[in-house]
Amino acid sequence: MIKLENISKAFNGEQILSDIGITYEQGKTNLIIGASGSGKSVLTKCTVGLIQPDTGKVFYDDREFTALDSKSRQEIRTEIGMLFQGNALFDSLTIEQNVMFPLQMHTDMKSDEILERVNFCLERVQLTGVNHKYPAEISGGMQKRVALARAISMKPKYLFCDEPNSGLDPQTSIVIDQLISEITKEYNMTTIIVTHDMNSVMEIGDKVIFIHKGRKWWEGNSDSILSTNNKELSDFVFASSVMKRLVDKK
Amino acid sequence: MNLLSHIGKFSILIARAFSKPEKMKIFRRQLMFEIDSLGIGSMGIIAIISFFMGAVITIQTSSNIDSAFIPAYTVGFTVRQSMILEFAPTIIALILAGKVGSNIASEIGTMRVSEQIDALEIMGINSASYLILPKITAAVIINPFLVIISMFIGMAGGYIVAWGTGIVTTSEYLYGLEYDFKIFGVYYAIVKTIFFAFIITAIPSYYGYYTKGGSLAVGAASTKAVVTSSIVILLVNYVLTQLLLI
Repeated sequence: MIKLENISKAFNGEQILSDIGITYEQGKTNLIIGASGSGKSVLTKCTVGLIQPDTGKVFYDDREFTALDSKSRQEIRTEIGMLFQGNALFDSLTIEQNVMFPLQMHTDMKSDEILERVNFCLERVQLTGVNHKYPAEISGGMQKRVALARAISMKPKYLFCDEPNSGLDPQTSIVIDQLISEITKEYNMTTIIVTHDMNSVMEIGDKVIFIHKGRKWWEGNSDSILSTNNKELSDFVFASSVMKRLVDKK
Repeated sequence: MNLLSHIGKFSILIARAFSKPEKMKIFRRQLMFEIDSLGIGSMGIIAIISFFMGAVITIQTSSNIDSAFIPAYTVGFTVRQSMILEFAPTIIALILAGKVGSNIASEIGTMRVSEQIDALEIMGINSASYLILPKITAAVIINPFLVIISMFIGMAGGYIVAWGTGIVTTSEYLYGLEYDFKIFGVYYAIVKTIFFAFIITAIPSYYGYYTKGGSLAVGAASTKAVVTSSIVILLVNYVLTQLLLI
């Protein structure tokens, strides 16, 4: 479980996040949705400590992350896996080396054990035969899977996904969503997904949080989102004609 | 951003970079890679530049000696002193500031804008130490060797010109190379080289690490890194010369 209390952040006098409190639940996919510029990515970066919030606290289970020094934070970060919007794979390393990187840095596993784990993770994301290729030599969807394999290689307790479907075709998006959802249940992780893909919301949104103008505007799940009376959320959700037609049909 | 702010951020980054590597095995692997990339990869350009520096000093010195009271071996002496005291350490450092500096700034800058540095941090890895320490260490280890090689190639360049053109006899040239040789000059050059090696890796790392934006910002960081390192090399060269030779 990850708990945020009264998180606020401003840049150059402009308030980006205001007094946000959220509890991300373990074993569930927690989706953060909102329009571009609403503060979703800043909120995620505050949660993982890449940005220091101006006020507020972040708890990883019972550990107050925001009160820790950098060394103690690093220890918690070994329990975090993150899937970046642009994948953030290391260009100079092969797929295999990318996935084994956290294991080499943080464990004392022998090289054959590491390789076994790498192959397991790659198979888990349905990716085989690319071990010795470089990130630039595989497709965007495959890169996303490699990034997911790397994120789960350390068996993390917390998984963050920043726009996991950006740049992917609808079919590949569904595959990635399903993988994230399955892995979340399998490892009983606390998964946080930042997205504006309504397909993802409907498919895997165990818990959905809507951020608007830097504030937590709404909280619910994929079922309750369609019957919401919240105007801003409705505007966001039904901006897609597909969603509109879906509700009209129902 | 003012100078003091840059110095403050630079100092914090370098302090982070100099913390103990998380895995010595990985650090050694990175170090060997950087020695090959920054050092061995620069051998070609260093050899070419050094050869022609020695050749040109030989011709210029020879053509400027008109007086019969100045012995011909002065040519070899001048080539040796110029190469050891200034040309090998400083000019090579300036060349490397361009070649290696732009490479480091663009490499780290690209990693920053493509979130690879964020990925390292999220993995609980000290990105400054992982990325910057092997580069600084590699340059500090390998650059003195490069400079010594440059000294020899420069003097060899002068010898070949002397032999090929006959502007000074090879025996007089060689006598000049040996005349009044003091090993302190080489030590002085190596001390300068170690400082320069730090500058040409640390400053570009700083500009790369704090790149903000996209590909344009990476290019701008690379340019700033080369300009700043070159200026700092010249300043430090002056200060070290004042301290060590006077």
